[in-house]
Amino acid sequence: MSSRLRCTAARGLTSALKPSRLLATQSAALLFPPTPTPSATSAARTYATAAYGSLSLPADYVSPVKPPTARPGDTRKSQLLRTYTSLIRTTPLVLLFQHNNLTATEWAAVRRELRTALAAVPAPDTELESLASKVKLQVLRTRIFDVALKIVEFYDPSKVAPTTVSTITGKKTQIKLDHDLSKAAWEQVQAATKEDSPLLKNSTYAELAPLLVGPLAALTIPAVSPAHLAAALGVLTPSPPKFPAPSKKKYPGYWDPITQSGLSKLMLVGGRIEDKAFDLEGVKWVAGIENGLDGLRAQVVHMLQSAGMGLTSTLEGTSKSLWLTMESRRSVLDEEQNPKKESEEKNE
Amino acid sequence: MITRFITEVNTKFNPFSPSSKTARLFLSFLPPTARSSGMKINTAVLPKESQEKSSLHVKFNDGKEMNLDCENQNIKSIVAEVDRHSRILQKAADLQNA
Repeated sequence: MSSRLRCTAARGLTSALKPSRLLATQSAALLFPPTPTPSATSAARTYATAAYGSLSLPADYVSPVKPPTARPGDTRKSQLLRTYTSLIRTTPLVLLFQHNNLTATEWAAVRRELRTALAAVPAPDTELESLASKVKLQVLRTRIFDVALKIVEFYDPSKVAPTTVSTITGKKTQIKLDHDLSKAAWEQVQAATKEDSPLLKNSTYAELAPLLVGPLAALTIPAVSPAHLAAALGVLTPSPPKFPAPSKKKYPGYWDPITQSGLSKLMLVGGRIEDKAFDLEGVKWVAGIENGLDGLRAQVVHMLQSAGMGLTSTLEGTSKSLWLTMESRRSVLDEEQNPKKESEEKNE
Repeated sequence: MITRFITEVNTKFNPFSPSSKTARLFLSFLPPTARSSGMKINTAVLPKESQEKSSLHVKFNDGKEMNLDCENQNIKSIVAEVDRHSRILQKAADLQNA
């Protein structure tokens, strides 16, 4: 037993591998007949690949499925970052909540009530029909969400110059390394978020940055639908006259003590709607838009139409008054001439 | 943070101002059972344009009230200040039970 322990691992391994390695090279030799078959002694030391030196990858080879990244690209954090950037880019309506130690059962209860309230919202058109099922209340990693916001706001992939790299065959091609974890993205974001950068001053990110503190959760609605937003506000931060809480009779689950204690720990701090920062009042204003975006459009159309009517009537007015004065002047002139005619007629 | 002896927490802050960080973090330090165990927690979220300073007011079960300055203090020093009084109360409670 002790002698076996003392024997070095390397020795044990070589003795164990020798026959199999020989076998491998022999089978490789059989597969590629034109190469000269190495002698049995050297076969033990050459690998199958060594005979084909051209099989090594070019020095500037870039894998199309795993491009180089500024930070480790395959960690959980970077995957989260990718998720957040795509979430921010595709979701026009994100509400940020601070969650103060909700338990798992409380989260489940809050999400359940949110789902039932959103399912009850009547969808005006087919586009918004499946919206309720896509609304999510998810806990965020605050710092990573902060970085993702910076990337979305300050990184412009169209500004990245293409780089020349080799393909697997050694052919030179030009590709753009402009993904969110690329070095270009990192450099652009670093430049834009320097303290006295002009980009930072008037940006939405600068407004939202103070919000991104402590435990955060995000309510994401993939379309700006005031009706759905109003329903969500009614559940999460009810304010009676406009956004009342669900009724006790119809939704008893909402008045469950677990749900209520969960909701008391959720606090709306702000939101990002259509790339702009909104506080609680602003979010309520958006939720209060009647008939959604179509309603707003109808209002604008009505305003433009009535303005047009006013304009035409004013423009018409001057010509009308001119015509009236001219007309009255003509009638006066006519009268001046006519009496003579009449007197002439009388004389006849 | 020792939260056993806190009976009431009143906070007011504008989340869009960087100085709200301390007050918000203090709220996140309260345990999940804080409300069910009788602690009163009142939070007022101020609108975006508000210039009002953020405030944090803590009451203990022996009647002591603390008006903490969360504009210039970070969360560490606030917790230290609250814990300093909580430890006195804890000592008294331990002596009473023994």
